[in-house]
Amino acid sequence: MKGLLKRWSFWCLLVLAALALFGTRLFDALPEAEVAAPFSKPLWLDRSLPPTMDLELSGGHPAAELDWVFGAPSRFSLRVETALPAPSRFVEWTIPGGKTFRLTPLNRGVELDGRDIAFKRSLGLPPFGDASSALFPERGTYRIGLSGEGEWEGSVKIRLEGGRWGLLGTDQRGRDIAALFVAGIRVSLLVGIFATLLATFLGTSLGLAAGYRGGWTDAVIMRAVDLLLSIPLLPILMALAALWGKGLWQLILILSVFSWMGTARTVRALTLTLRDAQYIEDLRGLGAPAGYILRRHLLPETLPVLLATMTLGVPGAILSEAGLSFLGLSDPRVISWGRMLHEAQSFGAFTAGAWWMLLPPGLGIALLCLVFLDLGKYLEERVDPRLRGGNVL
Amino acid sequence: MRKSLFALFLSAVFLALGSAPRAEASFDPEAFAGPKIQDLYLVIIRDPDAQLLALDRGKVDILGDLHRPVDVDALSKNPAVDLSLASGFHGFFLGFNVRTFPWNSLELRRSAWQALPRERMVRDLFAGYAEPLATFLPPVSPYFEPDVTAYPHDPEAARKRLAGAGWTWGSDGVLVSPDGRKIPPQKLLCPTASTAPTTAEIAVRMAEALTAIGIPVQAEPMDFSTMISRLDERDFQMYVLAWQMTRDPDSLYAFYSSKMDIRGGYNMPGISDPALDEVLDRLRFAPDETAARAAASEAQKLLSDLVPVVPVYSRYTISAVSKQWKGTLVTDRVTADNTWSLLAMEPASGPMRPLYLVQADEPRALNPFTSSSAYDWQVLGLIYDSLIAVDPYTLETIPWLAESWTIGTEAGPAGPRTVLTFRLREGVEWHDGKPLTAADAAFTYETLKKNAVPRYFDNVDNIDTVETPDDRTLKVTMKNVSFWHLHRVGGISILPRHVIEKVNDWRSWLPASEKHPSDPGLTGIVGTGPFVFREYRPGEYVRLSGNERFWLGRKR
Amino acid sequence: MSGYWARRTGSALLVLGLVLVLNFVLFRMMPGDPVASIIDPNFSPEAKARLSEVYGLDRPLPVQFLRYVRSTLTFDFGISFLTGRPVVEELKSRLPNTVMLLGTSLVLSSLIGTWLGMKAALKRGSLLEKCVLWSGALSFSFPSFFVQLVLLMAFAAALPLFPLRGTLSVPPPAGGLPLLLDYLWHMALPVFSLVLLGFGGWALYVRNLMVKILGEDFILLARARGLPERNIILGHAFRTLLPPLLTIFLLSLPGIVSGAVITETVFSLHGVGRFLLEAVTGHDYPAAGASFFLLALLTVSCNLLSDLLYGLTDPRVRMERGGGR
Repeated sequence: MKGLLKRWSFWCLLVLAALALFGTRLFDALPEAEVAAPFSKPLWLDRSLPPTMDLELSGGHPAAELDWVFGAPSRFSLRVETALPAPSRFVEWTIPGGKTFRLTPLNRGVELDGRDIAFKRSLGLPPFGDASSALFPERGTYRIGLSGEGEWEGSVKIRLEGGRWGLLGTDQRGRDIAALFVAGIRVSLLVGIFATLLATFLGTSLGLAAGYRGGWTDAVIMRAVDLLLSIPLLPILMALAALWGKGLWQLILILSVFSWMGTARTVRALTLTLRDAQYIEDLRGLGAPAGYILRRHLLPETLPVLLATMTLGVPGAILSEAGLSFLGLSDPRVISWGRMLHEAQSFGAFTAGAWWMLLPPGLGIALLCLVFLDLGKYLEERVDPRLRGGNVL
Repeated sequence: MRKSLFALFLSAVFLALGSAPRAEASFDPEAFAGPKIQDLYLVIIRDPDAQLLALDRGKVDILGDLHRPVDVDALSKNPAVDLSLASGFHGFFLGFNVRTFPWNSLELRRSAWQALPRERMVRDLFAGYAEPLATFLPPVSPYFEPDVTAYPHDPEAARKRLAGAGWTWGSDGVLVSPDGRKIPPQKLLCPTASTAPTTAEIAVRMAEALTAIGIPVQAEPMDFSTMISRLDERDFQMYVLAWQMTRDPDSLYAFYSSKMDIRGGYNMPGISDPALDEVLDRLRFAPDETAARAAASEAQKLLSDLVPVVPVYSRYTISAVSKQWKGTLVTDRVTADNTWSLLAMEPASGPMRPLYLVQADEPRALNPFTSSSAYDWQVLGLIYDSLIAVDPYTLETIPWLAESWTIGTEAGPAGPRTVLTFRLREGVEWHDGKPLTAADAAFTYETLKKNAVPRYFDNVDNIDTVETPDDRTLKVTMKNVSFWHLHRVGGISILPRHVIEKVNDWRSWLPASEKHPSDPGLTGIVGTGPFVFREYRPGEYVRLSGNERFWLGRKR
Repeated sequence: MSGYWARRTGSALLVLGLVLVLNFVLFRMMPGDPVASIIDPNFSPEAKARLSEVYGLDRPLPVQFLRYVRSTLTFDFGISFLTGRPVVEELKSRLPNTVMLLGTSLVLSSLIGTWLGMKAALKRGSLLEKCVLWSGALSFSFPSFFVQLVLLMAFAAALPLFPLRGTLSVPPPAGGLPLLLDYLWHMALPVFSLVLLGFGGWALYVRNLMVKILGEDFILLARARGLPERNIILGHAFRTLLPPLLTIFLLSLPGIVSGAVITETVFSLHGVGRFLLEAVTGHDYPAAGASFFLLALLTVSCNLLSDLLYGLTDPRVRMERGGGR
């Protein structure tokens, strides 16, 4: 046990498990919530991008001036809330150099956004790109105010989104990537551990049955093993994912159904050798029922090997899930690292140069696999001393 | 309410202004001639990132359909590329099962329409690159009727409407009908996010918007084919679906006539209104344009009152062309990679060189009989011609292989029937040099009809006889009367008789891999169009060459 | 002995038969068929019915099954729903790319891996061994698509050293040698990524195996007899290494086909893997059924072949198998 505490993977796993259980409390919003503009960069990345700003014009303060020292904001949106509409008066935007844009008349409930093509056309802009880059062409002093004179009740709220957010920025739907990353730990751990547990359980029971009983049971189970081994994993997973809908537990079930074969073979081989051992023969001679022999004697013999195989099987399950998610065949409501990579790739992280979207999930998967590999190695060494020595992991 | 009207007003003004070019000069197809380009490569690039990078690096010149907002934004900042926007006939709709409670209530459907925040959805999901749709035919349709009932986004007004119709809200916020029935939880069928990510998202948002006014809706993503089966079996409450309409409004018949409420038919909501049926019948079998227009107008007005489905948005098609080429024809109805562009494009400077166009997926069989994907027809449409073509500005019918035609009505054994008489151009040659005659067209129609080729089933089903009084005249007698027969029949690609009559099995015919009997540079794909098919390398590209003998604009 | 092989072959054929049935059932069970999902106002219900007829989907299931069995066994496979071309044509145009991709990377990673593994086993405790152990773990842990995406981003997008997609440039260069070089240039990054991901596992396995072998008695004996080290390694040790190595080589062949799906998707290669993915997601029964069947055939053959090799070279196995079953 002491050896376990000395291994880096053990501590890593503890940290990851803690994050999986409590990590979402670190964030204010749910991982699926939209928190900022899509493809926002991490806070530490691009200093020339402005911070997110809110302005408000009201009856008492009908104008505002901005000393703008940044690049253009990534989003511009405006909302008019007024008790009495004054359609002859407009919200005006003046850029350095004097040119003025008329944004909207003061009607009740007007909502404008730099992405609306109608808005862009009203400003005489081409329909492509966000209007904010035309509204903020350079550094300087900008003025927003109301045309015309007179009293006015109501408010005009303007929001300028900076384009920077959080530790890892946002994805194509404006979700916090750091929050998604932490949520993904849970999914990967769940899939990895449960799929392997289930597969081990299946494999052990079937292997014991085949090895101990022999005859017909053995033949049928071994045929099933051969059949399942002849079907390549990824294609059948693809077909079943398409067939069965895409829940997380369905995926775990499918993964385990196709991974029990190796364990079954190993357990069967072990059972075959042990079955003919002297003390087992003696027990049988004494009239001990098969169940007793299996439970009290054979099963404990297989446990050390099983533990090692199981720990080494977890990375396999995690990688299979990641592969399926990457190909787009998983449940999109389930946030997993593979899914994050799939969405990054299909929604244009590449084109946007958003490497902060692509690296964390991939590195996360690799880290988790390394952790389990190391733990598995440790357990394997405890079982089979020959592999010890010269082993650095 | 006002601000949406304002937005509508703005877009109407600017759509009109934007289409100003067509008002100034009418389009003259005869001003075009054979393609200036000698070599055209349709490069197969499926990955959008790779497409963008190829355009950026100058490896391709035209990218026809950008659908990721991120790509459009990136290209809008690229000074070497021109972007253009075209509205189309795509329509995305929210459908109801009008046969049962609660969607058999008209006021509920109208309120649902008012509760949907279209502009916000378009803004958030498409970054603004889609058109909020509030009509049953898209605004670019030549038969668009603007004077219909509107239901601008206003959840408050929706509630008032419901209250006025006798609906009440329970303590949990769920609506109760005037006769005391509470709305059970509704399932909104939609495709899964892996097949259609934005659709799934829209479904979720619509569900939220409707739940907010008291209709408890939840989105239920499922495999697309399963969803269609469920719709076919009428086992649904609500659904979302998108389809491509066409410039002919008689598709309204397919969607909303009660006769189409059958298995395999598209009247999934199950709307059945005698007045609507009558108008749609008149539309489908309209004898001439006046009747067609009147019927189309009435149909749209009725539909906006009956609300069998709620229109949500229509996709724009955005295309990008490298500034190193000039002569591109762009309108607000066609994208940059249309036939007219390809006829007129040439390098902005320097000698002629090959043009590279992006093809977003493999053309498949390249068999004009069986090919149904847009990717096949991106290729085949440049090779084959039909009797009529479409004006890129007004979407009206213009002469193509047929230089003129008449539409007549004659009495027949089963009632009056339309007779289309086409006069074909002179001097048109197939790519292998043989002349085009009316016999080719007749043989094409007869072959399609005889073999009941599925893709053309509806086009030729109503043809009774085809006659060729002489080499340049084609007389097609239909079985009944309809103004749309002209488009249905005139839009079929004409195939060469001397090639087709040698085909044994149209189902497995692979003309692209056959060698032409006499011309080594040709394959089994022989047409009269502006480009000649040369080579298809699966996974890589399709190579076409300019037809030097193309009939358009040739001096005789 | 021949009885054992007869039974082995028999069970292989049984497995193939079961796969055949499973294929059919699986894809028919998959919801929806290609005709039903056509939503096009220009495709009336009559037209759809006719299309169903053309595809043979309107026949009763048992008839469809018999047709399917017959076409599969004659390697006919029918016409793909998605492309309208015979499935055999589709496979023929894609197989060379996939074989080239997988074959080259498998051969290269096994060769490099074996060499490194052997060296690591010989120099226990050295830096080399540490590197080999780490590289084995890393190449197993990093998801393949991630490594490929990063490589693509770095060496095709950021630094335009390699092409972003496809197997040939457009238009491809004329002449034999330039064409070959163009093809190799396009395949370089995919093959490199697969080798990078694959050599580690080989190195690790060979190292472990070699360590076990070097600890065996017969090696000790050979050393005691004073034979030159070189002879011991290349002669005795390597010879013992070869059978399990070949077995693993054969057994890993079907497994890397799954890797082809991802690689071909990331690098936009015209290969069988991507064909399989599209066929499965697109309800293209003939294509998907054909691909699955061929994959099963490959797996079963490889299993059989590896058993044969093992049986021939390792007498212990023969005895146990002959008796224990």
